Amino acid sequence: MSYHKITITINGVTDRVDVPSHMTLLQMLREKLALTGTKNGCAAGECGACTVLWNGEPVNSCMVLAVECDGAQIITVEGLAHDHQLDPIQEAIIAAGGVQCGFCIPGMLISARALLDRNPDPSDYEIRDALVGNLCRCTGYLRLIEAVKEAARRGEAEAAPA
Amino acid sequence: MLTPHPGLPEFDYIKPATLAEASQFLAQHAGEARAFVGGTDTFVRMRDGFWKDKYLVDVKHLDGMNTIAFDPLGGLTIGAAVNLNRVIVSPDVQNRYPVLAEACHTVASYPLRTRATIVGNICNASPAGDTIGACLVLKGSLRVHGVNGLRVEPLSTFFLGPGKTKLQRGDVVTAVHFPIPPKGYTARYLKLGRNTIGDLAIVGVTALGYRDDDTPSGYRFRLALASVAPIPLAPTRAEMILSDKPITEGTIAEAAEAAMEACTPIDDVRGSARYRKLMVRNLMRKVVTEVWKVISRQS
Amino acid sequence: MAKIKERKNGKNGREEKVPELIGQSVPRVDAHEKVTGAAIFTDDLQFGPRLLHARILRSPHPHALIKRIDVSKASALSGVKAVVTGEDTPGYIGLYLQDRHIFCRGRARYVGDPVAGVAAVDEETAERALALIEVEYEPLPPVFDPEYGASPKAPLIHPDLGEYKVANFIFPKPETNVSNHFKIRKGDVETAWPRCAAIVERQYRIPHVQHAPIEPHVAVARWDESDRITLWASSQSPFAARNLIAKALGLSQSKIEVIAPYLGGGFGSKAGVSMEALAVVIAKAVKGRPVKLRLTREEEFYTTFVRQGLAAHFKMGCDKDGKLLAMENRYYWDAGAYTEYGVNMTRAGGYSGTGPYDVPNAKVDSLCIYTNHPVGGPMRGFGMPELHAGLEQCIDDLAHAVGMDPVEFRKLNCVREGDIIATGMTMHPIGLSECIEKAAQAIGWGHKAPPSAPASRKRRGKGIAIMWKAPAMPPNAGSSARVSLNEDGTVTVALGGQEIGQGSFTVMAQMAAAALGVPYDWVRIARPLDTQYSPYEWQTVASRLTWSMGNAVVAAARDARQQILDLVAEAWGEDPDDLDIVNGNVVSYKTEESRSLKDIVIYGLPKPNDQGWRGGPVLGRGSFMPTYVTGLDPETGQGPRAVVHYTTGAQAVEVEVDLDTGKVDILRGVSVYDVGRAINPEMVKAQMEGGLVQGISTALFERLKLKEGVVQNPSFVDYRIATSSDAPQHIEAIIVEVPQDDGPWGARGIGEHPMVPTIPAIANALYDAVGIRLDSPPFTAEKVYLAMVDAGIVK
Repeated sequence: MSYHKITITINGVTDRVDVPSHMTLLQMLREKLALTGTKNGCAAGECGACTVLWNGEPVNSCMVLAVECDGAQIITVEGLAHDHQLDPIQEAIIAAGGVQCGFCIPGMLISARALLDRNPDPSDYEIRDALVGNLCRCTGYLRLIEAVKEAARRGEAEAAPA
Repeated sequence: MLTPHPGLPEFDYIKPATLAEASQFLAQHAGEARAFVGGTDTFVRMRDGFWKDKYLVDVKHLDGMNTIAFDPLGGLTIGAAVNLNRVIVSPDVQNRYPVLAEACHTVASYPLRTRATIVGNICNASPAGDTIGACLVLKGSLRVHGVNGLRVEPLSTFFLGPGKTKLQRGDVVTAVHFPIPPKGYTARYLKLGRNTIGDLAIVGVTALGYRDDDTPSGYRFRLALASVAPIPLAPTRAEMILSDKPITEGTIAEAAEAAMEACTPIDDVRGSARYRKLMVRNLMRKVVTEVWKVISRQS
Repeated sequence: MAKIKERKNGKNGREEKVPELIGQSVPRVDAHEKVTGAAIFTDDLQFGPRLLHARILRSPHPHALIKRIDVSKASALSGVKAVVTGEDTPGYIGLYLQDRHIFCRGRARYVGDPVAGVAAVDEETAERALALIEVEYEPLPPVFDPEYGASPKAPLIHPDLGEYKVANFIFPKPETNVSNHFKIRKGDVETAWPRCAAIVERQYRIPHVQHAPIEPHVAVARWDESDRITLWASSQSPFAARNLIAKALGLSQSKIEVIAPYLGGGFGSKAGVSMEALAVVIAKAVKGRPVKLRLTREEEFYTTFVRQGLAAHFKMGCDKDGKLLAMENRYYWDAGAYTEYGVNMTRAGGYSGTGPYDVPNAKVDSLCIYTNHPVGGPMRGFGMPELHAGLEQCIDDLAHAVGMDPVEFRKLNCVREGDIIATGMTMHPIGLSECIEKAAQAIGWGHKAPPSAPASRKRRGKGIAIMWKAPAMPPNAGSSARVSLNEDGTVTVALGGQEIGQGSFTVMAQMAAAALGVPYDWVRIARPLDTQYSPYEWQTVASRLTWSMGNAVVAAARDARQQILDLVAEAWGEDPDDLDIVNGNVVSYKTEESRSLKDIVIYGLPKPNDQGWRGGPVLGRGSFMPTYVTGLDPETGQGPRAVVHYTTGAQAVEVEVDLDTGKVDILRGVSVYDVGRAINPEMVKAQMEGGLVQGISTALFERLKLKEGVVQNPSFVDYRIATSSDAPQHIEAIIVEVPQDDGPWGARGIGEHPMVPTIPAIANALYDAVGIRLDSPPFTAEKVYLAMVDAGIVK
């Protein structure tokens, strides 16, 4: 088994980690670093439960090798809140009643956060399109979509000039 | 029976410093080494046990792999490591080759598109590849670096069978290139999946049309079909019908029938041959009509 | 001092007014930790460097004798610590019928049946070891069809069926593949047919589907040196897991501790016991080291539980005015290789087998049949979605046959309070008629909207379906709870029912707070569930927690409340009936005296003049078990009280069919259910929405494609489920409340019911749109398109 030493910044904290070639980013997060917020739902890039931000872009971390992330900036669900203040998308999902079992939520939040970062006022279709890779079996999606709209509205209100 | 590994099987990760090094390593270890960029097909097949390579060679940092470059005379070159999301938002793609963006956008989901690439889609040679049809109608070609140096592979002759291409041992595809398309052209991609958005293509049809005074109809079409033959298919008789006769609703229906007859889909877990053939006909009719409506309005 | 606006308690401490918290959509107790990634699921638990990993070798044959297993090469692989087989598991295991061994012994009965297990230092090593295990199989003729399986020609899958231990309300037929046959014989259908103005006779085949929870099964087991077993598992039913595993291993329940953290979705797949027992057996072989077993997504699809398939034969008739006269329904359940759980689904399918209708003459035969298919187990609806799928389509057909509107037909025939239902039980007060009316109104029944696209390439239609379901459980399934308080007045509720996403922890906190008299955010639920410390709960299934565990929690809270009132009354020299707890303060209606709960709930109150103390730590207890469910006659299915109660409801949908592709879009859905009392209305609505979408998913996309016993599509690539793009634009969820006499504030369950009528509602809408019926879901675009071609609707 070949190992590689990588330097990786996760939720703002830089670490040096020794990883085997075949270890995925998801496995590194969960099993080497005990960052268990990101979930394993299929290991095949289909369910989205493992979605994290890789240099600002959402990616299925089960489809990325840890060794590919040398020098990368990773944001996981644990990094969404700042100074114990929830991100607007986290608050919106709670308020909309979009949390049930919670297993899809970390990946869903990352995809939603990334959408709002690139498109602060998404349409209903654009939201569905952005979340189509995050499977949810509990909620039926409507409250999640509503939460993204609400977070967008809040973002607009906050960004509006005084 | 599918019994995939829980994670990836063991392999060594190789990151060559140059294209020459990459080609040499791949040639030397042919049969047990594989180049990869986004990994979305590679990792799945290794986990499923279909591919058992000892070495995975990461090529996405090599020369030319990460650029999108447009030259007003030469055309568009998209590096092999450029992910689909970057292609979709590229102004050069949106302004001049919008069907590429359209096709890219139908692939899977945003997070998967952060990894997936056009070249990967092409090299995987899945008959269902969403971007392949657009690349074919745009007369794309691949820039390939091999043990004997650089060469060009036109896409029209690149596919040999499901999963089989003209690539040789030691080859690394560095970019896909599209010449300047015909003046005033329009192209569309229509896809049928099982979910509303985001599935593989059960059937995918691409149509490109433009004014051409040299044809009896005054127009020329380039058509491509995905998922309905062992390799991506250009239904030439359908194209000829649209060149040879004045284009009416009837001609388009005739061309759609010809496209249906040209394809040889199979029954598989995703759909039956019967349904796929009928969908080729229906989608072809739809996509050609949409393109026709646009190009026939231009004076 | 608390302002006493209104006396809330009557004499004897009984509350006359419904507390404000009941019916309030308070935020979930677990939302914050779930959105921050802090919520712990079983695979998140950390076990340190001694943790071993397990993988399972599974039978590739649907039916085979196991002649020989040689594990020597696997055991010798570096990093492998143990290999176990059925040699190590002689005991039988099962919930209602003990028909399987934890690892196969001598015979494999489905593709995926566990034959051997390996524990190694990591998953990949364990996986490689599997390939080194040599197994010699002798394939046996398989059974893949339930009607064939029930026939005398079929080979026996369980030759020892007659010797299996079985619950006394299940009736297996030895020397056959029928592990249960439930019968309803009410009235006389033969005399009714001649009186019918219209008769509809149809067959429907409902395919296997899978729960597909986003969290796959995972279990960690440790068998320590003093033979105490700890099992951490993603389980809906820690007490059932403990009980079944203990019995199978011949151990006392006290030897096994099951710890169940949050579940990433269950839908029934994590009820009873499936793969958890494998982890325990492997752990025995590596005493002292914890062993983790995780299912891959592919294994998740076919190696735990699936929803069984159904071949349903319906015959029903009505008079010229549309009044139902008779139903004769036969259900052949493709129940899979082991029916230890499935037998009860087929029983429920039997006693509820007429659907929610008042039918004077009913003949139902519900057969649970072994096949060499994946194991049928509980899935949301427990037999109800499968039988309603065809039944509700027949009802529409029958209505059309006598020229009656399907809504009117249902209003005429739906079951009402006082009706004698198929088992002879008298129906309690229910709001089904109201649900039908509200659903019809909300969907705009009778008005067709024009299609969305120009020209005529889309067709719209509306459909309605109704349902009923009772919690299917043993007659003595019990709940218990404890309420204790902390020095600062906050409350800990200990219970044994799981939070699987449905919101049980939240409503229990609400009910405890309401019954005790404290603010909602003072209440904590003791978690994770741990059979060593949590009070007993039968299982988290059957939509029974709000009602059953709710009763226990309320009783415990009231017990605690009474202890506090008795203490303070004694200290104040008052009658406890004049006191109350409001907002965390004990108040007297008589003197307007008030004091906080702080400290007194632990330390009690001092007697005057330093003469000692009274009171002490307050501990409330509550327990609930229904006492009135009776047995049913094995030949007629008749008995005074078959079930505890029914939840009923209606669903209506508006669909749009694409004539060019056959794709069915669900434009709008309406879900109306009588929940007795909505403790948390937004969470009730969330169940109605989620269930509708899961129903849509099974109606349009889902089927485990079984070929020669092998699932062809065990992955999300080819087992499609609804995505964000498939959810309707609008779902209206409407709550009806006709109280349940013995539910907390009248509440009854809702978790499963919103998935039950969705397939037939869509089927009926499809018929309205394009005039076709399919005999089998899912209504994929391909099936719909080809049916339209064959019917001449499109070319």
